[in-house]
Amino acid sequence: MTQSQMIQPAGSSAMTVATPPVGWKLDPALRAIILPAVTAAGLIALWEAAVPLLGIPHVLLPPPSAIAVRLVQLFFPLILQHAIPTILESLIAFVISSILGVVLAGVLSSSKIVREALYPNVVFFQLIPKIALAPLFIVWFGIGSESRIAFSIFISFFPVVVATLAGLDNVDRELLRLCKALRASEWQVFRDVRIPFAIPYMFSGMKIATTFSIIGIIVGEFVTSQAGLGYLILFASAQAETELIFAAITVLCIFGLVFYGLVAMAESYLRKKLGS
Amino acid sequence: MTTHATGSIPAIRSLKPLTDTSTPYISVESVRKVYHTADGDIEAVSKVDFDINSGDFVSILGPSGCGKSTLMMMMGGLETISSGRIVIGGEPVTAPRGDLGYVFQDPTLLPWNTVLENVLFPIRLRDGSTRKYHDRAQELLELVGLWEFRNKRPRQLSGGMRQRVAICRGLINDPALLLMDEPFSALDAISRDDMNAALADIWDRFHKTAIFITHSIREAVFLSDRILVMSRRPSTVCYDIRVDFPRPRRMEMQETLEFNELCGLLRKKIEEGYKVS
Repeated sequence: MTQSQMIQPAGSSAMTVATPPVGWKLDPALRAIILPAVTAAGLIALWEAAVPLLGIPHVLLPPPSAIAVRLVQLFFPLILQHAIPTILESLIAFVISSILGVVLAGVLSSSKIVREALYPNVVFFQLIPKIALAPLFIVWFGIGSESRIAFSIFISFFPVVVATLAGLDNVDRELLRLCKALRASEWQVFRDVRIPFAIPYMFSGMKIATTFSIIGIIVGEFVTSQAGLGYLILFASAQAETELIFAAITVLCIFGLVFYGLVAMAESYLRKKLGS
Repeated sequence: MTTHATGSIPAIRSLKPLTDTSTPYISVESVRKVYHTADGDIEAVSKVDFDINSGDFVSILGPSGCGKSTLMMMMGGLETISSGRIVIGGEPVTAPRGDLGYVFQDPTLLPWNTVLENVLFPIRLRDGSTRKYHDRAQELLELVGLWEFRNKRPRQLSGGMRQRVAICRGLINDPALLLMDEPFSALDAISRDDMNAALADIWDRFHKTAIFITHSIREAVFLSDRILVMSRRPSTVCYDIRVDFPRPRRMEMQETLEFNELCGLLRKKIEEGYKVS
C-alpha cells in the first residue's frame, strides 16, 4: 500500500503568519456588530443635534432624548398596557399563520391536482392590495381582536407558504431517486426527506411572517380598536403628542427585533439539532 | 513474480459465453432504451444481451455517455425499458426490488442524519424499527473503518468516507445484488485506490452479485470477475471478458505484467468500440 505513508512537508512549521498592523483592525465578527451600531448611534446623535440647531418644533420632530424621557415617563402603565394586546395578538397571528402556511404548503406539494387548482389562485390573491381589505375583516369578524388576528394571518401566511413550498419542491433529485430505489412511500419521502430539507426554507418564510404579523395587527388597530400600540399612535397623533407616537414606535421596533431574534434562535437550535 | 494462475491474458470469450448450461441469475434480453426528446428520439442503449451468474462481480466498462448508467438504472427498476426485458432471479424487472442494494455516483446521504442513521435508512423505510440491524451496521462500518464516526454528520466527512457510508447503506439489507453506478468517479486518485481496496475487501467478506459501472479500466480489472465493454451510443456490449486473477485482490497486483496487458487489451477494445461502426 503506497498511500499509507504520511509525509510531512519540510519546513511547514517554519511558516509564520504575518501579524496584522496595530490600529483599525477588528475581529470580523465583532466588526459586524460594532460597525452598524456605531453608524446608528451616529445618526441618532445627528438627529439629536439637528433638532435644536435647525429650530425644528418638537411637535414635528422631537429629539431622541425627549422621546426616551417620554418613553420612561409613560411606559408604566400607559405604554405597557397598550403594548400587551398588540404583542399577544401578533404572536397568535404569527403562530397560526406559520402552521397554516406549512400545512398549506404540504398539501400543495403532495397533490398535483390540488396544486394546479389552488396555487395560481393563492398567488393571484396576493396581488390584491391586502391593506385595502382590512375594513372587510371588521365586517366579517366584528370589532374584537378576532378581526385583527384574522387580518394579520391573512397578510402573513403567504410568505410561509411560498418559502416552505420552495423547500419541499427543491429536494435533491438524487435523494428522491434513492428513495425510489428503496421503495419509500410518498408519505415516507415527505416525512424523512422533504420536511427536513424544507426546514431552512420554512424559517426564512417565518422570519418574514414575524414582521407581517405585526403590520397586520397595527393596521387592524388603526381601523378599529380600543387598545394596542396602533390605537395609542392614532390617539397620540390626534393630541399632537409626537413624542408619544415615537415612544410607541420605539416599543414596536424593540418587539419586532426580539420577535425576529427568537425565531432566528429557534431556527439555529433546530438546524444544529438536525445537523444541517 | 506473478500470482496469476495461468500466466497469460485470461481467455477472451464471445457474447453469452458463460451460462448456456445453468440458469443465469440475471438475464438481459435484447434490451433497448430510447429517450423521446423534442429534437427526436435518442437511442441510449441499443439491443444489449448478456447473462450474469450469481456471485460474480461484473463491471460494465465504457466511455462517458455510452449508456452504461442507463443500463444499470434499468436493471434496478429505476428506468423503464423501451423494449426487451431484464430478468433477475426468475422475475422480470418492472420496479425497484427490495433485495437490491444501490450505490450511486453521488453518496446521496441525508445531511441531517448521522452516519449510523444513514446506513440504517433503508431499514427504517422498510421496517420502521432499525434495532435488529444495529449489529450489522456496526459490522459494516467497522469494516470500512468508520464506526468511530457513526455519530458524525455527512458534511463532517471527506468524499471518500461519505461514499463508504453509501456502500454500507447499500449492503445493510443484505442484498442479493449490489448495483454501483460509478461510485468512485468523483474521488481523487488516491482516495479512489483506497476505495478500490476497501471494496475488494468488502467483496471478499460478503460475496454477493455485483454490477459495477465504471469508466476506469484499472478499477474494472482490479475489482471484477468479468468485464463487459460497452461501445459508444447507441451502445451495445462489444466485448466480454472473464478476469481470473486470484482473490483476495491486492494493490500489488496492479504492477504485474498480466494486469497491465489486460488493461492494454481493454483500452484497445474500448477504442474499437468507440469508432463509428
